[in-house]
Amino acid sequence: MARQKDNLWYKDAVIYQLHVRTFSDSNADGIGDFAGLTQRLDYLQDLGITAIWLLPFYPSPLRDDGYDIADYSSVHPSYGSLDDFKTFLTAAHNRGIRIIIEMVLNHTSDQHPWFKEARSSHDNPKRDWYVWSETDTRYEGVPIIFVDTETSNWAWDPTSKSYYWHRFFSHQPDLNFDNPAVIEALWEVMRFWLEMGVDGFRFDAVPYLVEREGTLCQNLPETHAIIRNLRKRLDEAFPGRMLLAEANNWPDDVRPYFGDGDEFHAAFHFPLMPRMFMSVKLEDRKPIIDVLEKTPEIPNTCQWCIFLRNHDELTLEMVTEVERDYMYDEYAVDKTMRINRGIRRRLAPMMDNDRRRIELLNGLLMSMPGTPIVYYGDEIGMGDNIYLGDRNGVRTPMQWNGERNAGFSNADPERLYSPVISNAVYGSQVINVDSQERTGHSLLRWMKSLIQLRNSFQVFGRGTLQFLKPSNHRVLAYVRQLGDETVLVVNNLSNSAQAVELDVRRFKGNIPIEMFGRNLFPRFGDLPYLLTLGPYQFYWFQLRRI
Amino acid sequence: MTDNGRRHDQVQSFRKLREESEISSALAEDTFLDDDLLRQLMAVGEVDLLVGIVSHGNASTTTQAVLAIERSFQQRFTRQRAVIVDAYGADKDQSSAASGPSNVPEQNVRLADSLSLRTIQRVTADFAVPPSPGLALRTILAAADLLRARACAVVSPGTTNLTPDWIAKLLKPAYQDKFDFVAPLYTRHKFQGLLARNLFYPMSRAIFGGGIRELYSDEWGFSGRLATDCLNQDVWHEEHIGSRPEAWMAISAMSSDFRCCQVFLGEKSQSATGSGPDIVEVFRQTVGSLFWCMESRQSEWLDREKSEAVQTFGPEHELTSGPSELDRHRIFEMFRSGVTELEPILGSILDSETHAEIKGLVSLEEDNFRFPSELWVKTLYDFAASYHHAVLNRDHLVQALAPLYRGVTFSYLAEHSDSSPDEIEAVNEALCAEFQRQRPYLRDKWKVKVEVKS
Repeated sequence: MARQKDNLWYKDAVIYQLHVRTFSDSNADGIGDFAGLTQRLDYLQDLGITAIWLLPFYPSPLRDDGYDIADYSSVHPSYGSLDDFKTFLTAAHNRGIRIIIEMVLNHTSDQHPWFKEARSSHDNPKRDWYVWSETDTRYEGVPIIFVDTETSNWAWDPTSKSYYWHRFFSHQPDLNFDNPAVIEALWEVMRFWLEMGVDGFRFDAVPYLVEREGTLCQNLPETHAIIRNLRKRLDEAFPGRMLLAEANNWPDDVRPYFGDGDEFHAAFHFPLMPRMFMSVKLEDRKPIIDVLEKTPEIPNTCQWCIFLRNHDELTLEMVTEVERDYMYDEYAVDKTMRINRGIRRRLAPMMDNDRRRIELLNGLLMSMPGTPIVYYGDEIGMGDNIYLGDRNGVRTPMQWNGERNAGFSNADPERLYSPVISNAVYGSQVINVDSQERTGHSLLRWMKSLIQLRNSFQVFGRGTLQFLKPSNHRVLAYVRQLGDETVLVVNNLSNSAQAVELDVRRFKGNIPIEMFGRNLFPRFGDLPYLLTLGPYQFYWFQLRRI
Repeated sequence: MTDNGRRHDQVQSFRKLREESEISSALAEDTFLDDDLLRQLMAVGEVDLLVGIVSHGNASTTTQAVLAIERSFQQRFTRQRAVIVDAYGADKDQSSAASGPSNVPEQNVRLADSLSLRTIQRVTADFAVPPSPGLALRTILAAADLLRARACAVVSPGTTNLTPDWIAKLLKPAYQDKFDFVAPLYTRHKFQGLLARNLFYPMSRAIFGGGIRELYSDEWGFSGRLATDCLNQDVWHEEHIGSRPEAWMAISAMSSDFRCCQVFLGEKSQSATGSGPDIVEVFRQTVGSLFWCMESRQSEWLDREKSEAVQTFGPEHELTSGPSELDRHRIFEMFRSGVTELEPILGSILDSETHAEIKGLVSLEEDNFRFPSELWVKTLYDFAASYHHAVLNRDHLVQALAPLYRGVTFSYLAEHSDSSPDEIEAVNEALCAEFQRQRPYLRDKWKVKVEVKS
């Protein structure tokens, strides 16, 4: 299937996020690679996803799961070669799947040649590519992000006897975006991959590019100017490619990153994610409605990207103290489950492996405004291993079957980059693609039908949102509308059966058609429309005026 | 099975369904909860906290009360499922649309500093005319029962200084510490609340055990367990429950081994409500209600000595001093004239010795007048026993106590014009002890067979 020529493709996409290392190992070295991933593309095509977001695969010391890049224009040897990547890219495109790759531009690894040169001498031409200081007192008051491991945003470089700035780990020095040469170098990196055919970049840690005294060194106007610059070049040379921003901020603070449609095409909606979890636990729609009603309008060509879980901790930066405490108490009662300001768990264990709740959350993900991102393994309900340290517990090998190493690799188990989940509930003997392919009512089969349904209606990606707010607060109901396409979504957030009366007078005369079974429901009239929903049940109704 | 057989079964099944539906319709007609309220409760679902509010169409104070409750939920109970139930009765000259709590503007209650994670639910029981306090309470108890509330409170919008802190104090003992009844305590002027101090508190403490100082209060807390127990009592047709149900609820808790406590709330302000009911009407409602409770619960107290201290959160009493606006001379004159006018009635109520002592008091001059506590206790026990034996119309009987109470009030004002709060508290404790001491006298009089005089 050829890629469609719609430049707004990212608005209709269902993105699948994965790390090459975790997905499939073709050469039995215990580490996933591009050749292995290419072999699994049929699975992903069958799943129905339309884009893949790859975590960093560049050469790296791997002290931050690849976000510490040592070479922007190559592939880590463990994952294969550039040719392997090109083969993968072509195979994905042949299946109608677009590829989004990481662009970690805020910082490099301290092993990057740029930094090695910069620290080698104060006179080196690359010296000014990073942010240096004679003291560690500049930019005071700027928050530390990795509070569990770092005590300062400055690190001492014994080689050049000065401090360098790092917003993340101390082995990740920040690039100096006040130096035009840095921007040029990064554009060349982008051009390298764009010419190869990648469809988009996920820009990591966007808010932190520029530093200014007296500020929190985030979301500064100079950062926006840099983004506009790169976007302009992208549109001119590579129309139809997209930029996705990682800015873990409130929607109001992220909104400027869309500019007038001239900065990012898409950005993550971070605050929505914990509130979906919160709403289901509280059995109350308030958190979701509150945050979406506070979400500003964005230009027509732009899009929010929404997700349930990803490769990082379930971040609790964008919640209040009260909300954070609640999330910890409800979802991370064991302190081992907590890291930084978040929770390092996967979707299924957080839902106590309750299929109904897993389905409800995925139903929300697929029906809310924005482009959904599915984290690898969540489509089969994979578990986690909170004892692996850092965020590695949610980055274990993909479970393909019940055989050795879950079908991920033919290497000896000891050689795997990470142990396979092996407990009685989530172990690969129980949770794997093969068995779920062969079971009619499996989560995987259900996810396929959900994604297929989502892909069949453009309203989910591009439609407006209006909440209905029935008096039963355990029911979250909203209408998505795009031209003649209208969908009513009704979700029971609670663990018990609920009755709800919906005010659907403005849709009087419409026939609701339940979208999964294509069953007709009674026509809407003047009276409140009564529905009953089982625990965690949800309906998607297509409204037809016939 | 043949098609005919299947059809026959189906017809029988439909007939059964219709019959059941008729039965449930008939049952529905008996219920005091209307369908609209039921629909609202259905939408609320199970809750942790419920605060009932009885507003009589007073928009300004209702708004203030609702705001205080919502603030309390938002700031003190951020995780709990909470609902406000308003037993609302619109005044005839006010439209419900204007003044019901559900019409409190959202922007007023959705505070910027709100910490609440959940939707705060509001339910309005809209009556055509203002409901009686009993019906309002019954509605609130039914809501608490249906919603399986764990901790509840009732507040009055007439209390103009209701604060989020008060709501939290009333709810927390039931929610956190498993108390079933939470009575309030207020800062009082030493001459305020004399009826409570000289009658309700010491008498209920001696009879039912457990000393609740504010038996008749506008705000109190209770557990869902107590709510269900009270709701299921077959008392709702009683006039005393209709007019003043609060003491009955407190006594229900005290006499049935529910855990009771008191919380100190501080100074209380009330909206001006005109002259209010006169003392005789107050007696009819409150003392009548107390005597009715004694009558209806005699099996629980008559042969059972129970005196358990009630746990108190905060100071147990806080009295302030200052000049009194009471007209002592008028009170004294009303005592004298009342005793004289009601002599035949008092003669049929009181023991002859008690009656003689009271008549003796009438002849005293103001300066020498004292109403001894022993005599006051004996008088009350005579009244209670006579109420039990129904020696005359019970309403008339209770109203006859009013002039005697005026004598006690006059005596109290005269004796304690210069007393310190501690001294007043000591006197109050002594009065409690006297009630306890004379309890056997009450029991004997209660049990004696009496021939009702024609």
